[in-house]
Amino acid sequence: MSAVATAAAPNQNQQEDGGVTQNTARVFDEVLLEVKDISLAFGGVKALTNISFDIRKGEIRAIIGPNGAGKTSMLNVINGFYHPQDGTITYKGQVRRKMRPHNAAKQGIARTFQNVALFKGMSTLDNIMTGRLLKMRTNMLLQAIYWGPNQREEIRHREYCEQIIDFLEIQAIRKTPVGRLPYGLQKRVELARALAMEPELLLLDEPMAGMNVEEKEDMCRFVLDVNEEFGTTIALIEHDMGVVMDISDRVVVLDYGRKLADGPPDEVRRDEEVIRAYLGVGH
Amino acid sequence: MFYREAGQYKSDYASDQAIFPIRQDRIGVLLIFLFALLVIPFIATNYLLNSILVPFLVFSIAAIGLNILTGYCGQVSLGTGGFMACGAFFTFKLTTWMPEVNILLIFLMAGFGTALVGIAFGIPSLRIKGFYLAIATLAAQFFLIWMFTQNPWWTNYNPAGVITAPPRALFGNFYITGIEATPVNKYLFLLCFTAALALVAKNLVRSALGRAWMAIRDMDIAAEIIGIRPMAAKLSAFAVSSFFIGISGAAWAFMYTASVEALAFEVTRSFQVLFMIIIGGLGSILGSFLGAAFIVLLPIALSNLPAMVGLRLPVDLIAHLEFMIFGALIVFFLIVEPNGLARLWQIGKEKLRRWPFPY
Ligand SMILES: Nc1ncnc2c1ncn2[C@@H]1O[C@H](COP(=O)(O)OP(=O)(O)O)[C@@H](O)[C@H]1O
Ligand SMILES: [Mg+2]
Repeated sequence: MSAVATAAAPNQNQQEDGGVTQNTARVFDEVLLEVKDISLAFGGVKALTNISFDIRKGEIRAIIGPNGAGKTSMLNVINGFYHPQDGTITYKGQVRRKMRPHNAAKQGIARTFQNVALFKGMSTLDNIMTGRLLKMRTNMLLQAIYWGPNQREEIRHREYCEQIIDFLEIQAIRKTPVGRLPYGLQKRVELARALAMEPELLLLDEPMAGMNVEEKEDMCRFVLDVNEEFGTTIALIEHDMGVVMDISDRVVVLDYGRKLADGPPDEVRRDEEVIRAYLGVGH
Repeated sequence: MFYREAGQYKSDYASDQAIFPIRQDRIGVLLIFLFALLVIPFIATNYLLNSILVPFLVFSIAAIGLNILTGYCGQVSLGTGGFMACGAFFTFKLTTWMPEVNILLIFLMAGFGTALVGIAFGIPSLRIKGFYLAIATLAAQFFLIWMFTQNPWWTNYNPAGVITAPPRALFGNFYITGIEATPVNKYLFLLCFTAALALVAKNLVRSALGRAWMAIRDMDIAAEIIGIRPMAAKLSAFAVSSFFIGISGAAWAFMYTASVEALAFEVTRSFQVLFMIIIGGLGSILGSFLGAAFIVLLPIALSNLPAMVGLRLPVDLIAHLEFMIFGALIVFFLIVEPNGLARLWQIGKEKLRRWPFPY
C-alpha cells in the first residue's frame, strides 16, 4: 500500500516515521560489482532480460519492483546460485566465470533470504558461529583434540560473534534454538549470521517483510549502522517505498525482468514508467 | 542438594563452551565414570560384563558413529552393518598380517580403512538425498557383506567363513582379545576406549566441523551460501562416522563375540543401530549411549521382568513383544519426540532445576 502512496504521489513528504534518514548527498565512485546484459530464463519463463547496473563500494543500493519482477533472481545470480544464460558479472574488477555460492562467500558476498533460511536445529549463537566457518583454520585433528589451538580459535571467533550479538541487541536469545524465535527475531539472527562473515557486499532480500513498524525501524537502523560502521556495501530488496527512499543511495527498478529505471531515490520516484508499473500491477 | 546453576557465573567463554557447563553435571559424569572404572570390575559378574556392559559399549561406539552421519549431518544410512563388517575384517587381516603391531593401533587403522570405504560409498550423497540415499547405502550394505562372504581371502581361507580373534595384549600380558582376555580386561579397555572416542565425537560436533554438518542437515542451500562446501562437509561426515562404526565392528568381532562371520553384520544390524539413535536421540552424543543401553537392556528386561513377578511367558511371545515395543517406541519418538530419550532427560533436568516451583 505504501508503495503506491509514495510512488504515485511523489510530492508527499514521507519522513514522518522519523528517526532513520540517509544523507542523500553521499557520492560513490568505485564500482564494486557490475552486472552487464544479464539474461536468465527458466524454460520459457524469462526471469531477467538484459539487466545492467552497478553497485558502488560503500553505498546502499535498493532493488525494487513488483512481485515476480526478478529481484530475488538477480540476487541469486550475483551470489552464484543461478547461472545466467547471458551477460557478465564483474566483481572487484574481475570478470567472474561460472561460480558456486561458496566461492561467492569466499570472495566476501553474504546474503539473507526472503524466507528466513536459518539452521533451525541450532541455537542463535551456533547459527552466527557458522558465519565464521570460512575464517576458521584449525584442521579436523586439532578439532578432535579440542583443547589447545582449536579452543583458542573458538574463543576468538566467539568474541567476534558476541560483538555482533551486542550490536543487534539479541543477547537474551543467544542460547535459544532459532526455530522457537518469532519471525522478526529470526530475520535479525539471519542478518547476524551474514555479518559474521565480515562481508564486503551484503545482499538483503526483503529484510523487513512481515515486520511491524517498530521492528522495521530497528532493522532500518541496523542496516544504516552496518553500512556506516563497517563500511559494508549493501544491496537491498524492499517493498516499503518509505524505507527505500529513506535509506538507499541509489535505486534500480525492475519489472517483468526488465530494468525500468535507475538512479537516486527522488529521481526514480518521479519516473513516469515507474509510477505506471506500480499502478499497473494494482498494488 | 539442589540441582541449580544459580551462582555459577561463567566469567569466560571457555567455561561457557564446556561440554558440561553446569557443575553438578560435571561431577555426576565424573562419578559415574569413576564408579564404572574402579567399582564395577570388582562387583560385576561375568554375565553382566560379557552380555550387557561389553555389547553396550560396542553399540555405543556404533551409535555415536551413525549419529554423526544421520543425527548431525542429516544423511540417512542403512549401511552401518556393512561398515562394521569392514572394521572387523580389516582388523582381522591387519593383525594376522602384522601380529607384532599393537592391537589398539590395528583397531585405529581398521577405523581409518573403514573411513575410506565410507567416503567411497558417501559419494552418491552429493547427488541424492533422503529415501534415495537410504537405498544407495543399502546397496553398499549388501555389496560389502557379499564381498566378505564370497571372498575367502578375508577369513584367511577359513572353511567355515569365520574369523576368530587371535590373542592380543594391549600391553604386557593385559590381553584384550583371544581366550586369554578376561571379561574384566575387555570391559576396562572398552570403557576407556569408548570414553575417549565419545570425547573426540563431542569435540568435533562442538567445533567448526560439527557446525558445518548441522548446517548441511538443517538447510544445505543456506549452508552453501555461507561458504560451506557440501561435498567436504558430507564426505567428512561419512568418513568420521565410518571410522567410529568400523571400530565398533572390530570391537564386536574381537571382544564381544570373539569369533564371527560376515552374516553377523547383516542389514538387521544396520536397523538396530538406526533404532538406537532414533530412540536415544538424533544429534546427541548422550542419546547414542541412552539408545544403546535401551536396545541392549530391553530384551533382557523382557525375558526377566515377567518371571520376577511370577509371570511365565513363552519365548516366542517375548521375541514378538520385543518387536512390538520397538515398533511402538520408534513411531512414538519419530512423531512425538525426534530428539529421543536425550531430550526427555533434558526436559527432566529443566523441571528439576525449577523444582519445587512449577514455573
Ligand atoms: N528456480 C526457479 N524456477 C523457475 N522459475 C523461477 C525460479 N526462480 C524464479 N523464477 C521465476 O522468475 C520470476 C522472477 O521471480 P523472483 O526473482 O522470485 O521475483 P521477485 O523476487 O522480484 O518477486 C518469476 O516469474 C518466478 O516464477
Ligand atoms: Mg523475491
